[in-house]
Amino acid sequence: MRIRTALITLACLLAFGAGRIPIENHLAARHGAAGLNTAQLDLSLRQRIGQMSFLAALSGFRAVVADLLWIEAHSAWERTEWGRMKLLLDTVTALQPRAILFWDNAAWHMAWNASVAAREDRSQPREALRIRNQREYFKAGEDFLLRGIQNNPSSALLHERLGLLYQDKFRDPARAAEAFQRSAQLPGASQYVHRFALYQLALVPGREAEAYACLKALYQKSKQEHLPTLLRRLQDLEKKLSVPPDQRLPILESP
Amino acid sequence: MSTAPTPSAPAIAIHDLTKVFPIPFKREVVTAVDSLSLTVAPGQVYGLLGPNGSGKSTTMKIVLGLVTPTKGHAEIFGRPCTSVDSREAVGFLPENPYFYKFLTGSETLHFYGRLCGLSGRKLSERTRELLALVGLEDAADRRVGGYSKGMLQRIGLAQALVQEPRLLVLDEPTAGVDPAGSRDIRDLILRFKERGITVLLCSHLLGQVQEVCDRIGILHRGKLLREGPLRDLISIENQTELVLENASPELLADLEARITLGGAKLLEKRRPQTTLERFFIEVTTGQDPR
Amino acid sequence: MHPSPSTHRIFSPTRLWAIASNTLLELVRQKVFYFLLLFALVSIGSSVILVQFSFQQQFQVLKDVALGAMSIFTWLLAVLCTAMILPRDIEDRTLYTILAKPVPRFEYLLGKLAGVLLLLLLALSLMGVVAALVLYLRQQDVLAGILAHTAPEDLDAAVRELKASTFTANLIPGILLIYIKAAICAALTLLISSFASSPVFTIIVSVMVYLIGHIQPIAREYWLNQLPAGTIVPPLIKVFLGFVALIFPDFQLFNLIDDIVVGAAVPFAAFAQTALLGLGYTAVYTILAYLSFAQKEL
Repeated sequence: MRIRTALITLACLLAFGAGRIPIENHLAARHGAAGLNTAQLDLSLRQRIGQMSFLAALSGFRAVVADLLWIEAHSAWERTEWGRMKLLLDTVTALQPRAILFWDNAAWHMAWNASVAAREDRSQPREALRIRNQREYFKAGEDFLLRGIQNNPSSALLHERLGLLYQDKFRDPARAAEAFQRSAQLPGASQYVHRFALYQLALVPGREAEAYACLKALYQKSKQEHLPTLLRRLQDLEKKLSVPPDQRLPILESP
Repeated sequence: MSTAPTPSAPAIAIHDLTKVFPIPFKREVVTAVDSLSLTVAPGQVYGLLGPNGSGKSTTMKIVLGLVTPTKGHAEIFGRPCTSVDSREAVGFLPENPYFYKFLTGSETLHFYGRLCGLSGRKLSERTRELLALVGLEDAADRRVGGYSKGMLQRIGLAQALVQEPRLLVLDEPTAGVDPAGSRDIRDLILRFKERGITVLLCSHLLGQVQEVCDRIGILHRGKLLREGPLRDLISIENQTELVLENASPELLADLEARITLGGAKLLEKRRPQTTLERFFIEVTTGQDPR
Repeated sequence: MHPSPSTHRIFSPTRLWAIASNTLLELVRQKVFYFLLLFALVSIGSSVILVQFSFQQQFQVLKDVALGAMSIFTWLLAVLCTAMILPRDIEDRTLYTILAKPVPRFEYLLGKLAGVLLLLLLALSLMGVVAALVLYLRQQDVLAGILAHTAPEDLDAAVRELKASTFTANLIPGILLIYIKAAICAALTLLISSFASSPVFTIIVSVMVYLIGHIQPIAREYWLNQLPAGTIVPPLIKVFLGFVALIFPDFQLFNLIDDIVVGAAVPFAAFAQTALLGLGYTAVYTILAYLSFAQKEL
């Protein structure tokens, strides 16, 4: 009697499963499109975080596991264990690919902190190797930002940070200008990124005329835009482009 | 689905009832009730007797719809026991009842009353009335968790009576209760009988059954061995008992001579004794319980 | 004495409420409830210690821990409480006295489940209030710092950023889904318990189904062949995957809070569909639990 009831229950569960699976499939796709549940929890992750944490991450505590690893990464930073920190940050971002904060901070730690530490590493006597290590951390920072953008294409902040990285670390004005410009087009962008994009554009060989036209438009838009850097860039460009003196903007010589 | 009750229907009618329990993971089965038929007329106090494992509990559970029969059927006032509405007319007191410990006596009755569709003033009045009937007025606001065995049995009786059922099913109502409590419960059963409530009493305490029941049935291994009015079943047809007060030895000698003359035989001569129960109650309460 | 005609109703909200409220009272009086609730509230409250981070990080961790605690404790309560209700009533024989009254078995079962669901609502609300309070207090703290150290022209943006990183309306659908997931688990536990012989068995099976339910989507994807081209699944394994996908619930679908905390928003239609699916699960498990309970010999 009990066995018969159990078999009937099992049959009902199977029928219910057959009915709901198309719905669940559709819903999962829908969630994915809204950027929900996109973390890839795979076996390589299990190797990195261990069985228990993996189980916890799977059963709805992904965010908490990520936070714990984040705190661990924070202590690794305090002890300047850069390699370990990078591994932890990789895991944290894999667990929480939608957390812009994690991508941003991970990139910053790599490109700004770890890179400096590598450059000044006293245990490495050869300068060439120190520079190579430093560039590797720049690359690591770039890598975090690019992956972050891949997961959060509409994040103005991550594009802005990428621009800063290209500007300050790689000294690559073309890519910096591009990144800033992308950021400026996204909702929630900082007011200054458009300006930053043009400053960098002004430094790209061959694009001076384009940069001058845009900066001029900005200059003419409002008095508030008359910032020292903007004025200096305009003057530099007028010189570089050999703008005739009568067509130049009425900018006072900077002190 | 609900069948109209017939006024003349018996309180309980059991027809050819069989219940077989399979033993898990074995091919054997246990036959708890075997082709049982019996009828309890309205107003009767019916004692169902039998040793442990004789099928009393299973029969009761079938009557209450807790267990479904393998074969045959049972009815309460004409309604099949498998239908929920048949239980409107039944109150049940299980063996060693146990109620929600966190409720007070009065809350317990409220809870069961609400299950029977009672509410508001009517329920409050009914609760008070029942607490008075079973003598628990003083314990009404105490948690059931702190009740003694006898008090639990009494609140159980009150609970069974909450919707004014016409049939009471009592399973070992005095098991584990002290003699005074046991006597109280016996007196309550007699009062229910006066009010016309039918009682099905399951017990293996024969003395108690003998005191209150009109009719008994003896179950053994799922079969009904004997059934009928108590008086008929236990009277010894060819014997007579005389109890005399202040009889002188001369009178007794005279009587004995006459008995022999008349062709009869004197089997026993003794002083009647009070029951231990009566003696106990006399001593503990300082009064004659009768 | 003439019997009155039957006035019995197949379903009565009064009886249902009598059983549900009594169950709630029974559960609230249990030590396990206080223990779990206390533990949850302490873990929510203690996340305040994390002050070493920037405020955005701090609030993210705070919210993750609070919502994680809400999720795990609501689930634990659902499983532990539901696993106990039937065995307890059977052991104490209170079940006999209740079912000997004119109470249909489905009403009894529904009442018990409703009692558990009320308890979960109570516990989750309490945890939610404490979490909101903790967030609010931290927010006031950080706000004071911002007001003191931020240039007036940046103040608006800073305050807006702060508010966006504390309690936002986005969290509400996530919290509702935590509740719905716990409700599914309660109904599931009830179903298991209608077959099981001991509460320990019920709890173990329920926890196992919970864990497997979170990897069900992986099985489903493999089964339905949504794989990178060239992957071949052996037929026997395919049958097994199909069985897992059909029998076990997909709990991952109800797990949106992790992404919501970091700023993802759930479109209303997606939320409504997910919630409906959850109700479907709860209803199916409850009906199956009834079918099994109705057959049960007590």
